[in-house]
Amino acid sequence: MKTFRRVALYAGLTIAAITFIYPFLWMASATFKPPIEVGSLSLIPNHITFDNYRTMWARAPFGRALLNSAFVATTITLAVLLFGSMTAYAMARLSFRGRPVLNAATIAVLLVPGQLTLIPLYTLIVQLGWIDTYAALIVPYLFNATAILMLRQFFLQIPQSLIDSARMDGMGELRILFTIFWPLSKPVLSIVAIFTFMGSWNEVLWPLLVVRDQHLMTLPQLLTVFALGGGAGTIGVSLASAMVLVVPVVIAYAFLQRNFIESMAGAGIKG
Amino acid sequence: MRAEERSGSLLAAPYAAFLLIFAVYPIAFALALVFMQWDLVTTPSFAGFDNVRLLANDGRFWRAVANTFVFLSIHVPLQIASALALALALNRRLVLRGFWRASFFLPVVISGAVVAILWSHLYATDVGLINRLLARIGLNPVPWLTDPATAMPAIAVMVTWKNVGFYVIIYLAGLQYIPRSCQEAIEIEGASAWQRFRYLTLPSLLPQTLLVVTLSTINGFQLFIEPYVMTGGGPLRRTYSVVLYLYTNAFAYQKMGYAATIGVALALIIGMVVFIQRRTIGRTEAL
Amino acid sequence: MPSVTFEHVSKRFGEVTVVEDFDLQVADGELLVLVGGSGSGKSTILRMLAGLETVTTGKIWIDDRDVTPLPPRDRDVAMVFQDYGLYPHMTVRENLSLGLRLRKVPRDEIERRVTWAAGMLRLEPLLERRPKQLSGGQRQRVAMGRAMVREPLVFLFDEPLSNLDAGLRAQMRIEIGGLQRRLGTTTVYVTHDQVEAMTLGDRIVVLADGKIQQIGRPIELYLAPVNRFVAGFIGTPSMNFVDGRLQTDDGALAFMTEGARVKLPGKLLPSENESASVTLGIRPEDLNVDLAANGTPNSDDALLGKIVLVERLGGTSHIHFEVGPHRLMASVSADSLPDVGDTITIQVPAERVHLFGSDGRALS
Repeated sequence: MKTFRRVALYAGLTIAAITFIYPFLWMASATFKPPIEVGSLSLIPNHITFDNYRTMWARAPFGRALLNSAFVATTITLAVLLFGSMTAYAMARLSFRGRPVLNAATIAVLLVPGQLTLIPLYTLIVQLGWIDTYAALIVPYLFNATAILMLRQFFLQIPQSLIDSARMDGMGELRILFTIFWPLSKPVLSIVAIFTFMGSWNEVLWPLLVVRDQHLMTLPQLLTVFALGGGAGTIGVSLASAMVLVVPVVIAYAFLQRNFIESMAGAGIKG
Repeated sequence: MRAEERSGSLLAAPYAAFLLIFAVYPIAFALALVFMQWDLVTTPSFAGFDNVRLLANDGRFWRAVANTFVFLSIHVPLQIASALALALALNRRLVLRGFWRASFFLPVVISGAVVAILWSHLYATDVGLINRLLARIGLNPVPWLTDPATAMPAIAVMVTWKNVGFYVIIYLAGLQYIPRSCQEAIEIEGASAWQRFRYLTLPSLLPQTLLVVTLSTINGFQLFIEPYVMTGGGPLRRTYSVVLYLYTNAFAYQKMGYAATIGVALALIIGMVVFIQRRTIGRTEAL
Repeated sequence: MPSVTFEHVSKRFGEVTVVEDFDLQVADGELLVLVGGSGSGKSTILRMLAGLETVTTGKIWIDDRDVTPLPPRDRDVAMVFQDYGLYPHMTVRENLSLGLRLRKVPRDEIERRVTWAAGMLRLEPLLERRPKQLSGGQRQRVAMGRAMVREPLVFLFDEPLSNLDAGLRAQMRIEIGGLQRRLGTTTVYVTHDQVEAMTLGDRIVVLADGKIQQIGRPIELYLAPVNRFVAGFIGTPSMNFVDGRLQTDDGALAFMTEGARVKLPGKLLPSENESASVTLGIRPEDLNVDLAANGTPNSDDALLGKIVLVERLGGTSHIHFEVGPHRLMASVSADSLPDVGDTITIQVPAERVHLFGSDGRALS
């Protein structure tokens, strides 16, 4: 009975794991198959071909989109870490007028669904003349309320005596933040970095609104436009373009899966 | 310390300015846009309650809301059941525990756009993987995304598949908090596995279930990329989502006032639905 | 010239006054202890001197320099914190040298001072470790070393021993005292522990509710507390207090209370009302207990006490007894002790008696 249960448990887990992994493996293998083979369930192509990638690369500026996405996501992540920790440090450890208001506003912002502000933000970008600029993709994400709250929560737990010691040692506030708080906050900083980067990397709706120029499109956006506009033509090409977006993430996930899970689940709960 | 006050204000000022420009102003302007007509080119004009009246009688909007409820009625229960089952399976001493967990979480890290593109091929009627599998066991192909009856359920299943790993983590965290002493106590009482689940595990996980319900509901109302990529809202507008409708009004029709009205209405509906859910589920806790 | 001067210093947090009109001069090379319970304002005073809190009104001088508006780094003071405040991600050496590096002290000078401090504090083998790898006492010494290498005008200690266990605390207390005497640096030391205050301080400032209760050498506070608070705070075990009245009996002054009468030296002061209500204080170690004379008063001013509890501590023992409705304690050193329920005879030596008026002030 006990053995039977164990076997059933592992059988169930295996089926579940296949359900989650197999579609991606199939996708990866399909991109190396000629059109005639794509429909097969087999993961190993009979004739390996790179045509899908060649076609995809030739038809739309995926290289440029990859660079755009990398640039936008990296800039946003660095900004969220830098500005977010400065703000969180002030909100957690410095007393100034307006601090309670700022705390309350940060929580209030998280309670408002994004759809409410989507249109006014879009019109704001239009009025600023930022349509088809990196600014439109980056500036609205320079600060992140979830990140600030998480960092603030962490900063609150750092003993006051460290700040006092640092001030006695002659440090200014920024120096305390970057030489004392940052080294101690590596776990939470990496959590913030991962969910910020992933959020930006995977975002589609906002780029679809503010960018129309193909050369400024982010990867998921170009992918969507490419797949919808019929530019792909075949399944293999369409999936090959998706691979450009997936491969970097899967590689990072393979190395840092613990951090990914902690980060994305944690941000979702707190956000 | 005066110096502290100064550095505090200095460090917080950029964020305060950011909040004003990118949060407070848009919220206020969203509410103002409800009473305006604006195509982004000409000057906005005051429209009174036109947008509200239009929305109240807009069959397409209500169709989208109804579609969302169809989505939720499949997605939320399925999400709870699958996440709970996988979490319970993971919550024991397992070989390769990290691997199982990582594989369940894999779709969470993949972009929704990729998942939508991938699944539109999996769901394809003639060459789709799923129908090929069905054919192997002798079943007829199902036109998953082109039949009005199956399109939204198909999307709901896909979204459940994509997000389940996320909720598994939430449930796993909840399972850690069930005190060992309680588990031992109920075992000594002689409860069967099902009874232990029914009278200890499930009630203990109520806060997590509440969180799953809330988050997956909000997620459902934000449905956009999946119908946008997979069905374009069809067939017969059965997969048209509220955000897709909002996007179309803003982007294709340039109706900013009306799009903003949809956004405000959506926020209100989300707030109401989540509030009602929390009230009802909160009440079962009291029982 | 005093090394540190507080001039009418007050501190308010919003509506709450934490320190009120604080005046104090600390002599050069002195070890001054600020002692008081929680909320007495002692830590706030220290933090104002460090520059970690602003002064609401008043001025603070270090030597002849008004440091009131200066940030901590410009005050030439160094501080040892209760939880040490060691940077967890830095080695002991880095912890010791950081303040000097930030002040652009030349490299070889830093090296010299770190070696010197590490030598004095026996930290040489620990220099490359991180705080997490150290014991409580070692962390404590690193925190002191960090203050020492700065070679400041003033050392500040904020309850440096309260995170240590009792044995280590006694040992570190001796080390701190010895170190301070060798270095001769002016030191302000904050503690809630009156034993630390008594053993370490050249002078002690007793604080309550943000106000100075008494300043003096330890023995002065012990022998002549100016009010009931100081009397109860200084000395272990605590002083016994009995409420009663003053009376003149045949020209002689006496303290009267239910079940007891104590003769007092001197005469009733003219300003004092007959039968003014007062509190008599007597230290447990000042009571003369006659363990042999069970139940028979051997002189007319002896009291009879009924024993309710005997605590044997080995060397000395605490005998808790009741006189009428009053409960008192005597500390005795004897091998054979009476039992609970026995009656003992207690002499109250008149010259050891402290009297406090209804306002708590000592009567002379």
